[in-house]
This record gives sequence, C-alpha cells and structure tokens, in this order.
Amino acid sequence: MRTIAKLFGRSPFIPIQTHMDKIKQCVDLINPLTDAFLIHDMAKVEQVAEEISRLEHAADETKHDIQNALRKGMFLAVDRSKLLDIIAIQDGLAGKTENFATLLTIKALNCPDSIKDTFKSFLAKNLEAVAGVVEIVKRLDELLESSFGGAEAQQVAQMVHKVAVLEHEADVIQRSLLKSIFAHEKDFSHGEFYLWLRIFKQAGELANLSETLANKIRSTLELK
Amino acid sequence: MNTFAIIQTLSVFDWFTGMQPTSQILVIIALAFGFYMAWNIGANDVANAMGTSVGSGALTLKKAIIVAAIFEFAGAYFVGSSVSNTIRKGIFDPALINEFYGEDGYLILAIGMIASLLAAGVWLQLASYFGWPVSTTHSIVGAVVGFGCVALGPTAINWGITDFSGVTAIASSWIISPVLAAAVSYLLFRIILKLIFFQPNPVKAAKKVAPFLVFITMFVMIAVTSFKGLKAFWKDAAWLENIQYFSNHKLGPTHPVALLITMAFAVITGVIGTVITSFMIRKIEDDPVESTQHFESVYVKRSVDKARKHLRRISSNTTGTNSSEASDLLMQLETLSSNIEKRSDPELTKSALQKVERIFVYLQILSACFVAFSHGANDVANAIGPLSAAVQTLHEGAIIAKSHVPEWALILGGVGIVIGLATWGWRVMETIGRRITELTPTRGFTAEFAAAITILIASLAGMPISTTHTLVGAVLGVGLARGIGAINLNTIRDIFASWIITIPAGACLAILFFYALKICFI
Repeated sequence: MRTIAKLFGRSPFIPIQTHMDKIKQCVDLINPLTDAFLIHDMAKVEQVAEEISRLEHAADETKHDIQNALRKGMFLAVDRSKLLDIIAIQDGLAGKTENFATLLTIKALNCPDSIKDTFKSFLAKNLEAVAGVVEIVKRLDELLESSFGGAEAQQVAQMVHKVAVLEHEADVIQRSLLKSIFAHEKDFSHGEFYLWLRIFKQAGELANLSETLANKIRSTLELK
Repeated sequence: MNTFAIIQTLSVFDWFTGMQPTSQILVIIALAFGFYMAWNIGANDVANAMGTSVGSGALTLKKAIIVAAIFEFAGAYFVGSSVSNTIRKGIFDPALINEFYGEDGYLILAIGMIASLLAAGVWLQLASYFGWPVSTTHSIVGAVVGFGCVALGPTAINWGITDFSGVTAIASSWIISPVLAAAVSYLLFRIILKLIFFQPNPVKAAKKVAPFLVFITMFVMIAVTSFKGLKAFWKDAAWLENIQYFSNHKLGPTHPVALLITMAFAVITGVIGTVITSFMIRKIEDDPVESTQHFESVYVKRSVDKARKHLRRISSNTTGTNSSEASDLLMQLETLSSNIEKRSDPELTKSALQKVERIFVYLQILSACFVAFSHGANDVANAIGPLSAAVQTLHEGAIIAKSHVPEWALILGGVGIVIGLATWGWRVMETIGRRITELTPTRGFTAEFAAAITILIASLAGMPISTTHTLVGAVLGVGLARGIGAINLNTIRDIFASWIITIPAGACLAILFFYALKICFI
C-alpha cells in the first residue's frame, strides 16, 4: 500500500493553475496602471508598478516550486518539456507586464486624444487575449480528467483558436496605433517617441505570448 | 463437505494427542508462526485492494474493512490452494530430505518450514516499519530457498534455469505479472477513453458501458470460484446421485456438465449484477444537451471563426466599397457566431466528467472486491504453503509424497489475514488511502481490474506473484495511457532494490532461524 501511495507524484497541473492565477493578478493591474499613467498621476503609477513587481516575484516562487516538482524520474500525463515551456511562457507574461509597468514609470508622457482611445482598445485587446489563455489554463485539470481528448479537448482547441484570433486583432490595432503615433511624430521628442514605441511593443507582447501559450497547450491535446 | 469438516473438528483432539511430544510443540509453533505470517499479509497488503476506494470516498473505512474481509477470505478459501502447492513443492522436492537425513527428515522439513514462516514474517514487519516496498511473496520464497540451500545444498533446489520451471519460473513471473497488468490496464483504459471519455456525451456512454464491465467482472469472479473452489462439491456431489447417469459417472469440475452449470451460474450472477448496476446508475441523469448538436457546434464555430478572420483581413486590407461590403458581411457573421455560441456551453463537460466518475464509483467498489478476492487467493499461500507442509509432516511422522492443502489451513490463513487487516491494515488504509485520491474511480477501476485479472490468472497457474507490484504495474499502465498526472518512477527503482534485498534477506533469516530451531529440537 505504501508502495502504491509512493508511486503517485505531486501532479503539476493544479500548481500550474495556481501559478497562472498569480500571473493574472499581476496582469490585472495593467488597467489601473495605464489609467493613472494617462492622467499623469505618476505617484500612483509608481505604486502600482511596485505592486506588479511584488506579484511577479511571488509568482516566481510558485514557478520554482513547480520546476522542483517536475524533476527527472517523474512520468507525466504531458511531456515534461512541454510543461516546463508552459510555465516559462506563463512566467514570461508576468515578465512582460513588469517591463510594461517599468516603462510607464520612466516619464510622464503626453498622449494625444486621437491616440488615447486606440491605445486603450489595443490594451483591452491584449488583456482579452491574456484572459482567454487564463481560461484555457483553468481547463487543465478537466483536460487531465478526460486524458486530453474528447469533447473537452475539442472545446479547448476552440478556445485556443479564439486567442489566436484575438492576437490577430491586437496586431491589426497595433498597426493603426503605430500609424497614428507616426502621424504625431513632431509632437514628441525623440526620447518620448522612442518610449511610446517601446510601450506599444511591450503591450503587444502580451497577446503574442498568450497565443504562444495557447498553442503550447493545444499541442498537448489528443485531437482527432 | 460439511460433514467432512465436522468429523475433522471432532477428531482434532485425537489428531493432536497421537503425535510425539516434540511434534506437538512444533505444531503449536508452526500454527503460531503461520498465523503471524498471515497476520502480516493482512496488515501490509490488504490495504492495496481497498485503499483507493477509501481514498476516492467510494467506501467508508468500516465498510471497506468488512468487504475486504469477506472477499479476502473467500479468495483464500476457494482458490488459495494451487499457489500453496508451488511454495511447498515447486522450489525443492521435499522427498529429497528423507534421502539426506533419514528418519529425522520430517523434523528437518517441519523446522525448515517454521523457520521460513518466521523469517518472512519478521522481515515483513521490519520492512513495514521502515516503509520499504517489499513483497510478502518474495519474502517467503526467499526464505524457503534459503532453507533448501542449507538443508539440501544449492544443487537440490529446482532452479529451473534450463527448463524454465521452479525458482526461475517463480522469479520471472514477478516481472511478467506487473508487465502483463500494465498492458491490460493500458488497453482497458484506452478502451474506456475511446468508449466513454472521447464520446460526445460521456455520461450516456458510461451508462451504456458500465453494466457490461460489471458483467465481465462478476462473471470472471464467479466462474473462477466455482471452477477452482468447488472441486469437492463436484466430486462428492451426493445430491446428484439420485440421477441415474451420475451414479455411474464421476463428476469433476472439468466435466462438461459441471462446466456448463458453472458457466450458467456465472452468467446468471453476472446478469443480476448488471441489472442491479443499471438500476443504480439510472439515478444519475443524462446530460441535458444532445451530443451531436453540441459537437457539431464546435466544428461549425471553428469555421465561423475562420470566416470572420478572413473577412476581417479583407476589410482591413481593402479600401472603398470592397471594405464596406466586407464590414457588412462581417457584421452578419458576428450575429451568426453569437447565435452558435449560445448553443455550446463550456461548463458542460466538467459536470459530465464528474458524472462519469460517479458511475464508476460502483465499478471501483466491485473491482476492489475483485482485487481482495484475487489477493486472498494468491497471498494466503505465503502463510499456508509452509504451514501445511510443516503440520502434515509432523502429524504423519514422515514426509508424504502426495498431499493436499487441508481446508483448516486455508481457513486459518484466511482468518489470519482478516485479523491482520482488522488490527493494523485499517490504519495503513486510513493514512495512505487519503493520499492517493489521484486514482479517480475510472483510473482506480482500470488499475484494480487489470491487477485482479492478472493475479487471478497467476493464482490459477499456481504462480506466487507479488500482488503489490502487480498493482503498481497496473497503475503504470493507466499512467502510460495519460490517465494520471504524475507518476514517480523512482518507486520502480526502489521496488527493484527491495526485490534484490528481500530474497537474500529472507533466505539469511530463514537459515538463522533454522539453525536455532535445530539446536532446540533435534
């Protein structure tokens, strides 16, 4: 009996979800952060950025915990390297969020009104993509229960597709956003202009990573 | 059969007083150590069968103990004798002892068997104290081999390397049985996945498949019990003598008529079980959404998404009328898409999977009974084989060439296992059963069913196998079929290590106890 109990390792799927929960808390702070940034409340920006940094660190600890549990000698329902990739990408989401927050703390930037809305919708699209992949990760334990196949897997594949669509939409918005900001080129100093570009790029990474993560999870499925 | 048993009980007193004083003491020691070994088996191993059912909440601890006791005892009593014969005679030929020791031969055999029982029992208790994954079977076989080596010399042991018999056959079955169980559980789980989990409506599919699985389990259990366990019932079938035909023909268990009755009985029991299960699972309601529609929407939705994506591309990459037309189409598509979305509810599969597991709770209990039964059949021999050899030779005052395993020994073994379970096994079950909740009812059923079938086949073939390691193999099989989150392969390494240690350890302890007893009694 003891032998059989010892046979079971700690399943990494629930800890991965816990990790994702923490990442989500981190990403969720982007909205208050940007709102404060757009009204030039730099003290608030600073404070939220610090909070993001703290949450990112907390998520890191969960990450190390899972990586330790996934040591060699564990036979898993999903390829070990794929699971490690999934965790690394989740971690990347928090990393990008932190980078984004740091960029916003550098300098209070003017945002022309014509760009403001596009920028907000761009961020919203990115966050939507993240939310989409968060939902997918939430399904991991059910996927395990159905052995990564069947209707459950079909649904997850569908959700993955949704994230891909969101990523594409974010790309489209980013294009128009870049066009707008180049139209306002002369309103900014070189530094400010460069900072805006960096900010857009970091924000866009959220959707990109979400799509990568979604695809990684899709690759674990047993689809017909 | 009953009258036979009563006569036996009445004559126990004569049977005992008719022996030499030394033999009397040895008989008592043999019974004590045989019981000790059986107790150890019950304390260590029985939790294997029921632990997962307790862990998944399918059975309360109390119910699990009662059910385990019944099925362990039934397995031990009805099917337990073939393996006992292998342990008594498969490793070396007891008749050889007469050639070596002459008149005292019977005492040597008895002392050796007693020493083996004690050695295996002590080793098991040590191992369970330290939590090593040793097998009761390996311990006793190691002990008997050790005794044979010192009493007769290594050449007398039936190593069976050339003709694949004796020790080689026993040892190879220790590897073959987990592998076989793994293969069976892998296949069974793949079948369950295909027939249930990968179906559009898993609950409906589970309701269809479950009664069939119940039938197979019940049929096999009953068929084996009556085929193997009711030999005497067929042979001394007084109730058949009224029929003209049977007064002239001896009826054994393999006689076509007996086989037919056995099969009919097994089928009827299977059908009853099936009907009961069908009624029980009828309580669990179907999924409200009809699957085909649900499934269709998945594909349709994907196509709609694709169309939307392409239309977006058109509208963003074109200008003028083309762009506005594409936007119009896009808007129409959005309405269509949201209509389809309403019809697919992502939360549906979650509750469906839980319902499937609830159906399998019944099957898991059944398969747990099956494991308990098979375990009783295989492992009772570890205590009873040496015990009956010792007691019989002591009683006869000589080594008898042809002997059978007496019924009282099987009963003693069964009772010993049950008491071991009741005094210590439940604690193991309680503490560890909770830790292996990963074995959900579907997984638990698959692993247990595969293990039970493998153990039962081995028991019928007279092979003493490690039931724990067979169950480990079965769990691995489910893992290979992607049924379990994480399996710790280091346990396999530990098992191999314990496998290598247990046999010499059992042998050494047996040699030690053999010499000690020899000094005391001869």
